[in-house]
Amino acid sequence: MNLLQQIVNGVILGHAYALIAIGWTVLLGVARLVNFGHGQMYMLGAFVTWWAFARLGLPYPAAILVAIGGGIAVGLAVQAVMMRLTLEQNLVSIMIITLGFGHVLRGAAALVFGAQPQVLETPPSLIDLEIAGAWVTAQDLLIVAVAIVVFALLRLVVEGGRVGRTARMVAEDPKLAELAGIDVRRVYLGVFAFEGAAVALAAALVAPRTPILTAIGFEEVIVTFVVVVLGGIGSVTGSYLAGLGLGLFNALFGGFVSPAYTTAASFAVLTAVLVLRPGGLATRGGGR
Amino acid sequence: MSAAAPVLEAESLRVAYGGNQALDLPRLALGAGELVGVVGANGAGKSTLVNALLGWSRGRPRVSGRVRLDGEDISALPTHERVRRGLLLVPEGGAVFARLTVTENLAASADRATGRAYTEDEVFALFPRLRERLHHTGGQLSGGERQMLAIARALRLGPRALVLDEPSIGLAPRLVVSVLETVRRLVDERGLSVLLVEQNVRAAIEVVDRLVLIERGRVLAEGPVAAMRDDPRIIQAYLGEGAA
Repeated sequence: MNLLQQIVNGVILGHAYALIAIGWTVLLGVARLVNFGHGQMYMLGAFVTWWAFARLGLPYPAAILVAIGGGIAVGLAVQAVMMRLTLEQNLVSIMIITLGFGHVLRGAAALVFGAQPQVLETPPSLIDLEIAGAWVTAQDLLIVAVAIVVFALLRLVVEGGRVGRTARMVAEDPKLAELAGIDVRRVYLGVFAFEGAAVALAAALVAPRTPILTAIGFEEVIVTFVVVVLGGIGSVTGSYLAGLGLGLFNALFGGFVSPAYTTAASFAVLTAVLVLRPGGLATRGGGR
Repeated sequence: MSAAAPVLEAESLRVAYGGNQALDLPRLALGAGELVGVVGANGAGKSTLVNALLGWSRGRPRVSGRVRLDGEDISALPTHERVRRGLLLVPEGGAVFARLTVTENLAASADRATGRAYTEDEVFALFPRLRERLHHTGGQLSGGERQMLAIARALRLGPRALVLDEPSIGLAPRLVVSVLETVRRLVDERGLSVLLVEQNVRAAIEVVDRLVLIERGRVLAEGPVAAMRDDPRIIQAYLGEGAA
């Protein structure tokens, strides 16, 4: 087993995890909400990209944009339905609704796209590259590059400027934010739109690595959950580092121990970290 | 004082929590450049009143009646729209964003400032202490500093009418005087209209133009402060026998 290859795999996997989780990080950081339909939104993003690219014949970048547009529409629709519950921070009802929403999405996707597995063969996924003895595809490099750019931009937005300040105010105290002249409903809609766009972008980039089925999504939710909690809920930098760490751990554990137990091992690490550092790896919250 | 059209006016304002009527106010008016004190015991309905003016609450009250700002009926507007029109509330406890620095708290207001907004220099002239705490977070400030920052945030937004809910609560007596004197300066020097909700009647009576006494959600008495000083209900309940 090539250690370098496993480390490279881990770095790519880690950036994929971080990218899949970034929407949830913002959702939890700003709206203090969870969306258990996140995995099915990932699945939908993958299918829409495949449909736009393979069926409509659009170029891959255009197919990504179509998927992002679909993700935004789904995010806005979900939040519009749940707005009252969101404003009341009725977390139990929201959890149940988003779980149900995920199942509705899965059923709808099966109706529209069929039960057959599909393969998204994008141009960069067909380009193999050797870097210092380790093999990667151009798609892998694209995932890493886009994840770094998205996280860097998000950190810039959150840490400075009006949008970031507004998000942090709503995250800290939505009622007080109203007294500062902030339209909290609009912020919540924006956060869900971002989650939809981010998970669709992640799906469009990561889905070419595996066959696309309507059944996918569960593992993505688990990974997202681990990354967001490990990173310190709402922490952008924490999520990036947690995603990277989890990717490396899974690649090395899968390569040198057994791929069958990586999810269980991930949760063992999550449990250990939460016992030792209840706030996650990043101690600072508030959407940073 | 308020013979001209009032800046802020509430009519038939009623608030109920479940089946309990918490407020029943036939009329309340705040004139231009006027400082009106709303006083009453704990649970009298003072905070319920100011929250209803803003359409704001952490609970789920049932509110009816009319609220006008500069003649415009704002009753149906959500809180943030009332704020953008210049009706600003500094809630009890000097509510500030605890994780944002003083600079960020003020910048957040500047993001949505109207033409009436006070400049940063004007705010620091009123509260020089804040200039020394720019990089401290709201959570690191003392009670008095938080109160100053909360008022400063409102001024940076650009108030047409400012509502202060118990600004003296938890403050040392010296700071209470300082905060209320600053409020008086805002009225005298800038013509700001201020509704001051206070439990500390002794302190409030020194700065307000008019006083409204509320008990169990109803107005018990109101009038110019000179007359209200001699009101036996005020004297008995808040000022003590020897005050008159």
